[in-house]
Amino acid sequence: MRPVGFSTGALAKGDVRRGLELQRGFQPRVCAVELSALRAHELAPFQEIAGSLDLAGFDYVSVHAPSRLGSLSEQEVFERVESLPPQWPIVAHPEILRTPALWRRLGSRLCLENMDNRKTTGRNASEMRAMFREYPQATFCLDVGHARQIDPTMSVALHLLLEFGERLSQLHVSEVGPRGEHLPVGATARWAFERIAHRVPTGVPLVIESVVGEGDMERELEAVLGVLGGAGEPRASVV
Amino acid sequence: MDGSSDSADAPPTTATRAPAPAKEGAWALVELQRRLGVRWEKISRARDKTEEIVATLRAELRGLEDPNCSVIVTGSLGRGEADEGSDCDWFLLVDGPSDPQHARLAREIGTKIRSVVSKDVGPTGTFGEIVASHDLVHRIAGSDDTNKNLTRRMLLLAESRALSNDVVRERVIRNVLARYLYDRPVSNKRKPGRYDPIPYFLLNDVVRYWRTVASDYASKMWERTYHGWGIRNIKLRFSRKMLFVWGLLAAFSGRLFDDGALAEASSEDEFLLRLLELIRSQTDVPPLELLARAALAEGVRDETITQIFSNYDEFLGALADPDTRRHLETVPFDDGGTDSVYEGLRQPSWLFRSGINDLFFKEHPLLPELILKFVVF
Repeated sequence: MRPVGFSTGALAKGDVRRGLELQRGFQPRVCAVELSALRAHELAPFQEIAGSLDLAGFDYVSVHAPSRLGSLSEQEVFERVESLPPQWPIVAHPEILRTPALWRRLGSRLCLENMDNRKTTGRNASEMRAMFREYPQATFCLDVGHARQIDPTMSVALHLLLEFGERLSQLHVSEVGPRGEHLPVGATARWAFERIAHRVPTGVPLVIESVVGEGDMERELEAVLGVLGGAGEPRASVV
Repeated sequence: MDGSSDSADAPPTTATRAPAPAKEGAWALVELQRRLGVRWEKISRARDKTEEIVATLRAELRGLEDPNCSVIVTGSLGRGEADEGSDCDWFLLVDGPSDPQHARLAREIGTKIRSVVSKDVGPTGTFGEIVASHDLVHRIAGSDDTNKNLTRRMLLLAESRALSNDVVRERVIRNVLARYLYDRPVSNKRKPGRYDPIPYFLLNDVVRYWRTVASDYASKMWERTYHGWGIRNIKLRFSRKMLFVWGLLAAFSGRLFDDGALAEASSEDEFLLRLLELIRSQTDVPPLELLARAALAEGVRDETITQIFSNYDEFLGALADPDTRRHLETVPFDDGGTDSVYEGLRQPSWLFRSGINDLFFKEHPLLPELILKFVVF
């Protein structure tokens, strides 16, 4: 079974402590977490509490950097995420990285995520290839929901895994709607994710980004683990 | 074309190399000209003109983007064969939730496009419309697959370019190809781990489309009492035929253009995903360039290459000349046997066809066998 957990932002928008607390009842099955500072204004408060968070039982911890700079400068965002504990990968959307020389300083702490259809870069293998040329040490967060939104056949996801599988440090899992919204994983998304599960290396953590209420966490965990939780055998037949 | 063959398979392996995408650019056309010591001026000029028009249109459409929509051009702009007199065959491809504002979006796009390319797109109503992806993906063959739907689907595959949001075009193409490919098991029952790369469903539809185009030519002659027959006839002999050529070559991608990555699939499902992407990558290659890539194969004679491309070059040159084009658009049907302009293109069309026949049926190291086994009976 791969390590699994939720993004704190998916469970409790803007409230990292609450997002952690909601997952405690699912430990030890849940042993991974992504600490979300997805909105720029969340970054400074998060930075203040980061050192005092109770992360007992979480073997894998990552941080999601703001998806937009908002009122912050790129330099300020960089300095704040750089100051976080160095063992936490920093998951970043390509579009906030405007000064490559700056972000290259994060080395392998920088974890680049593939994007959805609202963005103009980072959406497929050729666009991610260009990103990794800029950040050769960066690792990779495959957002399977984004990849499926770009291509429901999962050919794009397969090619991202084939080309960047060695960089893979975590998966983002959710169903992504036509306007980029993170939804609970439905039947067609499960069938799509099933197609590439065997190419996800064992041990790569699953971070669930589906926006769900407390009462739906168990169902979402089951849905995600049912498709992506195991070591993964290739799906044998398609018809 | 019944899916009964289990040949053309590849040995299994556990490696995980990503298939290389089709190389961009007209490199094969350049290579052929270098090899023959010739220059196909009209082909080069048409490609340059196409890029110029496409760049202008893309700039003009800036600000009219929608994440679930893509403005698609087909026809000469899609094939990279445009000239000053070309029209702009376009449609707004919607792959996402319906929105009443799409109508306004299509109108504004139409206005912008007409400010760049003023020529009318023709009376069929196939172009300049909103096209929802649903019919393209779900209505393939069967009684609901209209002539218009088949045409749009095939043009999307064979000769389309996105003026905006190519990711939507690619997504719909992948979904269409998934429909074609996931129609049957492709595993070789006698040789586990080996798979058949021939997409019969797609191949049959490619053949069906070509025959539909040829039949529609006759139908339009009847409906329009031969109005515009000359230009339509010449296009049938060259550019419409080129779509069929593209379709055959793309459908045989697994045999013609695989760099070995298909054999590295870990399952039937993954094999089909790899094959899907290999075929999809050909949808970024204009028909003439894809034909040039096939013509580079060992055994294809220089004379054959010259017959194909020099005569196509002449065709493009004729269409680019306003007087010739106008003449072809208006020449009376009864003058067909004596009209020097029409005759001056009919003869190159025979040579072009003869070159294509030699390439497909005699000289290419793989195509004669593939055509014999899969295209006719």
